[in-house]
Amino acid sequence: MEKANAEAERILRARAHTLARAPRPAPAAGTMLELLEFRLASERYALETRHVQGVHPLRELTPLPCTPPFVLGIVNVRGHILPVFDLKKFFDLPERGLTDLHRMILVRGNGLELGLLADVIVGVRSVAADDLQPSLPTLSGIRADYLKGVSVERLVVLDLDRILSDPKIIVHEEVEG
Amino acid sequence: MKWNVGTKITVGFGVTLAIFVIVGAVSYHSVTKQTEAATWVAHTREVQNQLTQLLSSLQDAETGQRGYVITGVDGYLTPYTDGVARAEETRRHLAELVSDNPRQLSRADALAPLIADKFAELQQTIDVRKTRDFAAAQSIVLSDRGKKAMDTIRALIREMNSEEENLLKTRADAAQADARAAKWTIVLGTLAALVVAGLAGLILTRNIAGPLGNLTGVAERITVGDLSSAVAVSERSDEVGMLTRAFERMTRALRAMAGAAEQIAAGDLRASVQPQSPSDVLGNAFVRMTENLRRQIGGMVEGAAVLGSAASEIVAATAELASGASESAAAVSETTTTVEEIRQTAQLASQKARVVADGAQKAVQISHNGRKSTDDAAAGMGRIRTQMEAIADSMMRLSEQSQTIGQIIATVEDLAAQSNLLAVNAAIEAAKAGEHGKGFGVVAQEVKSLAEQSRQATDRVRTILSDIQKATTAAVMATEQGGKAVEAGGRQTEMAGESIAALAGSVTEAAQAATQIAASSQQQLIGMDQVAGAMENIKQASLQNVASAKQLETAARSLNDLGQRMKQLVESYTI
Repeated sequence: MEKANAEAERILRARAHTLARAPRPAPAAGTMLELLEFRLASERYALETRHVQGVHPLRELTPLPCTPPFVLGIVNVRGHILPVFDLKKFFDLPERGLTDLHRMILVRGNGLELGLLADVIVGVRSVAADDLQPSLPTLSGIRADYLKGVSVERLVVLDLDRILSDPKIIVHEEVEG
Repeated sequence: MKWNVGTKITVGFGVTLAIFVIVGAVSYHSVTKQTEAATWVAHTREVQNQLTQLLSSLQDAETGQRGYVITGVDGYLTPYTDGVARAEETRRHLAELVSDNPRQLSRADALAPLIADKFAELQQTIDVRKTRDFAAAQSIVLSDRGKKAMDTIRALIREMNSEEENLLKTRADAAQADARAAKWTIVLGTLAALVVAGLAGLILTRNIAGPLGNLTGVAERITVGDLSSAVAVSERSDEVGMLTRAFERMTRALRAMAGAAEQIAAGDLRASVQPQSPSDVLGNAFVRMTENLRRQIGGMVEGAAVLGSAASEIVAATAELASGASESAAAVSETTTTVEEIRQTAQLASQKARVVADGAQKAVQISHNGRKSTDDAAAGMGRIRTQMEAIADSMMRLSEQSQTIGQIIATVEDLAAQSNLLAVNAAIEAAKAGEHGKGFGVVAQEVKSLAEQSRQATDRVRTILSDIQKATTAAVMATEQGGKAVEAGGRQTEMAGESIAALAGSVTEAAQAATQIAASSQQQLIGMDQVAGAMENIKQASLQNVASAKQLETAARSLNDLGQRMKQLVESYTI
């Protein structure tokens, strides 16, 4: 038994050695941006974590009639009824249909609280604010309006304040009964 | 001489016939005269007879008168009355008879008053006698009045008699002269006719029969085929002349035909014969004959050519036949040897057949054993089937359990995803906490990493499970197929059992057959001995065939020579 334990320990050490990485260099002086990275279709997007309340699996979505196409419906999150928006409608990205694997990013800002649909949640990462490039010449229209910047890793960082302050997202439609 | 033969014959026989007609007329005339004379003789006799009767009746009357006068008895008056009655009748008859002669008629008429007078005298006498007496009557008689009348009557009757006698004499003389003349006429006429007929016959004979005789001679010679004699052409215009000329033309035409026939006989078929007329049988037949001959000779020419070539071919063929016969004789020799070998082989086969028969008996035993083995195999297959069913049940259970494992894995996956989300939320919270949350952020990162690892692990497990499920499905199907295969194997085993049973039967039959084959091959051996003998005979026969083929070749060469000769013969014809 002793010998077996020693053997196991040796193996584990070898694996740990393999997995071990050099610590990341200390961030440079300046502001670091904490970002939540996610994917829409196959493109990588990110939001600042200060707006994010949390991520949840998309369950029990109730479609809402008489709403614009970007409003998927409403969900019940811990007793709060929140609308769920689909950013892909803004960015003209291909639809794939809703599954159990879709996630919802709960955001708050500008007095609004709502869920944004994400195909995949990648994780939280920090990026130096200086590294952000202001924009891309290829992006235009609404995408250019909602954009905060693009990182060196081609991560598209969205400006949630601008999105939430856009009067388009205030739904006020009346349907003739 | 412009007369034809008919005229000549008519004239000759006409003259003769005329003479005979004259003679006949003369004879007829003479006979008529004689008959007439005979009639007149009879007439004269009749007249004389009547005269005699008249005289007799007068005498009867006179006799009766005298008797009565003398006797006075009435019985004597009977002759008188008869005589009176007959006398007048006879006289009238006499007058009728001599009515052709005026002199005699006048005499007969003259008799009438005399007779009346006489009868009156007699009546008177009788009356007187009746009334008075004999003397008175006698005086009357003595007056001679009656006697005179009677004498006159007698004289007249004598005159008439003599007159008739004279007439008779004259007529008899005339008839005599006539008969003599007729006799001479007949004799001379007959002689003249004979002479004329003889002359005519002689002339006709000389004029017609002579040339006809000549022509007959020529015709006789033509009949026997001699066309050389020429007919002298006559200038005569009658039938004989025409016949002669026709004969001459006929002979000429026949000679032309003969010339054409001669030409044909010499082989020249180009001779064309013109028929004398559409009804010229011989000429038309000759034309047809030449045409037919031309055609036939043409056909014969072709036939001779064909015969020549055929004979050549036959020669070649018989040569081949002869060589073939030689080859076949050699082949027969080889065959005889072969048959001998076959006989030895048959002997060997007979021995082998016996061995086979023994082997077949063993095979019968083996097939019975095989039957038992298949029964065992069928039982084994049954057991295998039971086990296969057990395996199938196990596989089904395994499949169900792997489904359960899949559900468990899904649950674990779900858990990992939730852990991941929780880790993200924790990281977000840590970020919100700022510097104080950094340690928590690391923990959250670790949790996220763990969640990721467990997700990867479940992925691997899912992959493995998927493989297991595939394998299980394959195993289930394989088990199913195995079950079916076992079932089929069972059936096949049964069939094999039946087959082996049938095989056993067949092997039994085969054993019997092998026994029979052994017997048959024994007979075959005997038969082969006979075949060997027969082959020897065939060998002899084929040697004879070779000799015959040689003879045939010689004969074919002769035939070929014949064909060549025939060809030459036919070529001598000119078509």
